[in-house]
Amino acid sequence: MGMMEKLDVQADLAREYLTFRLGDEEYGIDILKVQEIRGYENPTRIANAPHFLKGVVNLRGTIVPIVDLRMRFGCSSAEYNAFTVSIILHIGQRTIGVVVDSVSDVMEIPAEAMRPAPEMTSAIEATYIRGLAQVGERMVILLDIESMLMSQDMGLVD
Amino acid sequence: MADTSTDHSAAAGIDLSQFYQVFFEEAGENLENMEQLLLELDIEAADDEEMNAIFRCAHSIKGGAATFGFSDVAELTHQMETLLDKLRRHELVPTPPMVDVLLQSGDALKAMLGRHQGSGGEEVDTSGLLFNIRAMVAGEAPPAAEAPVAKAQVPAAQAPVAAAATAATTGKRIVELRVGPLNDLSQADNLVDLFKEITDLGTIEPLPDDPSLDATRRFKVETASAESELLDLFTFHVAREQVAFLPYGDAATPAAPAAQAEASEKGYGFFDDAPGAPAAAQPVAPVSAVEPQQPKPATAVAKPAAPKAEKPAAALEASTIRVSVEKVDQLINLVGELVITQAMLAQNSRGLDPVVYQQLVTGLTDLDRNTRDLQEAVMSIRMIPMSTVFSRFPRMLRDLANKLGKKVELVTQGEATELDKGLVEKITDPLTHLVRNSCDHGVEMPADRIANGKPEVGTITLAASHQGGSIVIEVRDDGRGLSREKLLRKAREKGIDAPDSLTDSEVWNLIFAPGFSTADVVTDVSGRGVGMDVVKKNITSLGGTVEIDSAEGYGMRVAVRLPLTLAIMDGMSVGVGEEVYILPLSSVVESFQVSQEMVKTIGGSGRVVEVRDEYMPVIELEKVFQVPRFDWEHNSGIMVVVEAESGRVALLVDELLGQQQVVVKNLETNYRKVNDVSGATIMGDGRVALILDVGSLVRRSRH
Repeated sequence: MGMMEKLDVQADLAREYLTFRLGDEEYGIDILKVQEIRGYENPTRIANAPHFLKGVVNLRGTIVPIVDLRMRFGCSSAEYNAFTVSIILHIGQRTIGVVVDSVSDVMEIPAEAMRPAPEMTSAIEATYIRGLAQVGERMVILLDIESMLMSQDMGLVD
Repeated sequence: MADTSTDHSAAAGIDLSQFYQVFFEEAGENLENMEQLLLELDIEAADDEEMNAIFRCAHSIKGGAATFGFSDVAELTHQMETLLDKLRRHELVPTPPMVDVLLQSGDALKAMLGRHQGSGGEEVDTSGLLFNIRAMVAGEAPPAAEAPVAKAQVPAAQAPVAAAATAATTGKRIVELRVGPLNDLSQADNLVDLFKEITDLGTIEPLPDDPSLDATRRFKVETASAESELLDLFTFHVAREQVAFLPYGDAATPAAPAAQAEASEKGYGFFDDAPGAPAAAQPVAPVSAVEPQQPKPATAVAKPAAPKAEKPAAALEASTIRVSVEKVDQLINLVGELVITQAMLAQNSRGLDPVVYQQLVTGLTDLDRNTRDLQEAVMSIRMIPMSTVFSRFPRMLRDLANKLGKKVELVTQGEATELDKGLVEKITDPLTHLVRNSCDHGVEMPADRIANGKPEVGTITLAASHQGGSIVIEVRDDGRGLSREKLLRKAREKGIDAPDSLTDSEVWNLIFAPGFSTADVVTDVSGRGVGMDVVKKNITSLGGTVEIDSAEGYGMRVAVRLPLTLAIMDGMSVGVGEEVYILPLSSVVESFQVSQEMVKTIGGSGRVVEVRDEYMPVIELEKVFQVPRFDWEHNSGIMVVVEAESGRVALLVDELLGQQQVVVKNLETNYRKVNDVSGATIMGDGRVALILDVGSLVRRSRH
């Protein structure tokens, strides 16, 4: 089982994850990819882009694309209110922002708390899910955010 | 460079490779400098100053190359230096073949330095060059073509002339070694020990001290090693400039000063810097064998001899610093930020009561002025003079004219005009093409020119000047010009629709059509018809334009107009719905209000508008960019006519918001290419606005 092998390799690396909420779901991404967290600001729309690409914003002089993860994952609603935040990620040489409902926590998730995600159809391809983690009563979906954002269907790269 | 070559603590202990980059940069500059000087050299009346300057270039490269152990470079420059020294002392008269050989040597050096820098390439064979130079030094004038045959004779030809000179010389020879002036004469004993330790070096015997030489020891040395090798060894004990090699026996016959001077020059060629007094200078300053400019007494002599050439070089050195482009770009980015922040502050403070907030308002006004000044100053760092581009043409044109059998003179004007570094790099190729075209197609053969009552020598003029916010670079020639009939005929052959009613400028523009060539004969220089269209495309991609002007029989003029910089652009902001887009001001022709009736349709969907008896396609930005509408009763009533790639379209927008300078940002850094958008910028309120790609909008209208 591919996922298990992947977990084994990462077993000794107890990683820290930034967790955030999208609707009722909780997700975690590798904290090392996170550059900063900002309040949501209205981006400049880009014509003919996928619906989840909200546009581009000015981040201290650099032009940064903003992806609304809620729209990407097909959440029922994507409102922009005082809690809506953009997580600015540093991926490869690029800076990309993702919009989430709220940021919850930074937590260390030991390898033994990770479970493979079952094969099933969802808005997120299984390859972009590193695993599911049980934290108390909550289930955190650990994303491989880098390969997800860099994939062709995100339309962020030429 | 001289500094490092005399820095013996460095030579002895420190890893020299850290200085390589500096050496390569300086050697590159010296080579360019030398090439330029050689090209400017008036052979009939060679100026002493110029000869000295050329000599110094070769000398600096040699010094550095020897220090860093690039022996091939050092050897070739050494020979060049020998020749140059003879020239500057008027012992030889400069001839065109000499200039050619020196120029070729310069090219060879460039290739060698490139190899040492790790850029790869073939190993450079300099034996032919070395042979030619030596022959010239000896007063012969071998035609370059004979070099391969003559190569076999090298050892024979070399032995008598350059026994003491060349680092490649094999076989034992006897030289006199002078060491001094020394603080402690026993230092020289170390050299004797050196010969004992390294038996391969040869033998050394002390000679009686010469009373005319203060604190100097003399030795008779029999060795097979090259002087440069010996010097490298000696530097562990005595400074390089304290060591001098003389042909053995010369000092014993001071009655023959001329012979001595000549003989010693064959060895080094740079014994003194006071032309006209070589023999007199020698006994006093025999010590300055390697770096005559460096030791103090020699400098004092050299300065009055070459005051003019020395001064600008020194001034330049002191007033410039090397900074990586990266740092400058970072600075420009930061200033861009500052400008945006400042604009934001200005916008937010507009509502403040100036009476209540007088100090704040004054401060903000100052900030406004200072940021603008700062921005201008920082942008100017990236600006470099056009002379850096122009300087490559004299050489190119000289070679080209020789090849084509034409006589061409190059005149440059406005070399001091400054242009953004990024643009300079990109404009060089198109300009090269234009100059080449002028030489190949424009300027006639000397005989034809005389027959047409023109001066035998054709003139190609390169002129740069500032006009408004752009720079105009002109390539003019007084050649045969463009022929209207020929162009029309060629165009029709190519299947281009070219009625006789075309205006002149429309006819000239035909040469920008792909695959178009007016040359009757395809040469290896030009005429294949891949060219002008590429030139035009390259210049257009830089936001520039090309104009042609020509009079048959009198010449032609190509004017390239470019924006001053790529990083900042004059933009016109237009509003569509609630969004703002930027149009490059350079492409905006005019704007006017329209009413619904003025817009007609073709085939139901294609919309056109009549502007001054001309129908123009209409592009609704709202549709292209799918602008969401919240105001259903809006009225897009403004047309902005834009021009690109020799096409015009009318853009329908809601309103004109104003003109401003915008800092161009790349969208592709973090995102991707967006259709019809060439970049983005940050507006005064901190929001991003997209800059439209007018060329792509014009193309869009065509299909």
